[in-house]
Amino acid sequence: MRDIIKLALFLLTVTGVAGAGLSYVNGLTGPLIEKQILQQKIDGFKEVYPQGDKVENESANYLKDPHDPGLKEVNIAYRNGIPAGVIYAVESKGYSGPISLLAGFDIATAKITAIKILSQRETPGLGAKAQESSFQDRYKNKNSAEALEVTKKAPARENQIEAITASTITTKAVTKAVNAAREHFTIHFAKAKQPGLIRPGGTQDEPI
Amino acid sequence: MSLFNEFSKGVIRENPLFRLVLGCCPALAITTSVENGLGMGAAFTGVLVASNIAISAMRNIIPDSVRIPAYIVIIAAFVTMTDQLMHAFTPALYTSLGIFIPLIVVNCIILGRAEAFANKNSIIPSIFDALGMGVGFTLALVLVCSFREVLGAGTFLGMPVLPGSTPAILMILPPGGFITLGCLLGLLNKFQKKSA
Repeated sequence: MRDIIKLALFLLTVTGVAGAGLSYVNGLTGPLIEKQILQQKIDGFKEVYPQGDKVENESANYLKDPHDPGLKEVNIAYRNGIPAGVIYAVESKGYSGPISLLAGFDIATAKITAIKILSQRETPGLGAKAQESSFQDRYKNKNSAEALEVTKKAPARENQIEAITASTITTKAVTKAVNAAREHFTIHFAKAKQPGLIRPGGTQDEPI
Repeated sequence: MSLFNEFSKGVIRENPLFRLVLGCCPALAITTSVENGLGMGAAFTGVLVASNIAISAMRNIIPDSVRIPAYIVIIAAFVTMTDQLMHAFTPALYTSLGIFIPLIVVNCIILGRAEAFANKNSIIPSIFDALGMGVGFTLALVLVCSFREVLGAGTFLGMPVLPGSTPAILMILPPGGFITLGCLLGLLNKFQKKSA
């Protein structure tokens, strides 16, 4: 009996010391990690919508109605205090895991400005090519009014996206995510003829 | 045994991956690029040195019957610290190594060195043992990585080395890991037998 207590106390001490060490390191690295994640996000925003000078997460306003489950975040990019672009964080299921990406839309032209894959677990050499800019550029300047389609040949129509060779599932997953964002954008933003109609906070003025 | 011997045995005679065939899981999973191999090797060596020091220092007070749980707690603490430090300071590497950093906890080389060396030897030889094993494992990983990255992606440390040829994607997929490790182990055994 005394032995068990002795052993238990010993293990308790070891775990206690280990826990103390961990909490110290956590206190040291926690803020840095948070800063890094935030910085990555800001860099991502800049990449998909470079013209904005301030980006605000307005998911609370725009994602309260039933929406596509892939939509994770709606961020509005402001220029001189006026909403100029919308940046969506979207997720969809790829070939071997979730693909998460950012899709930027310009309110004035109702076009996709750019997309950026944030994380993916697709096959190296095949689906993982989705991370390359040569693929992501295929979504640039696409009109937001029309649903995007995946094609295995060279795209003949404006709304077609050429699939990555031997990775149609990946391409379809990315396109599905972009389409979810595109649909939400068309409903909530493209209808407003001038960007000024949408005020920070997401309330829309009465038509003049 | 001299300190240099403690060090060199891990690099060649008792190389953890090629001679002891331990740590195969990360050796198969993350060896798709030389950068991954170096990163994994560095993280692994850091954890091994720290855990060997801690366990060697406590070798006389750890009760025999609970030594394994005590080792695991110590190792897990160091791995978690490494994980957080890498997340904070080397985010790109952290992303590409992913789950395999936390999995160092169950890397049998580290527990193996604790059980086979650190709990019987004083701190200084334990450090050299850990450094040797760490360097040996890193070199082994980099060797596997080199074959797989050059053949599978046509690059070395990200620089193209095989211009104008189509890389064999198979080599950076999981089967490529098994093929490379199998061939290397076979070749090393062949040479070992000859010299013996």
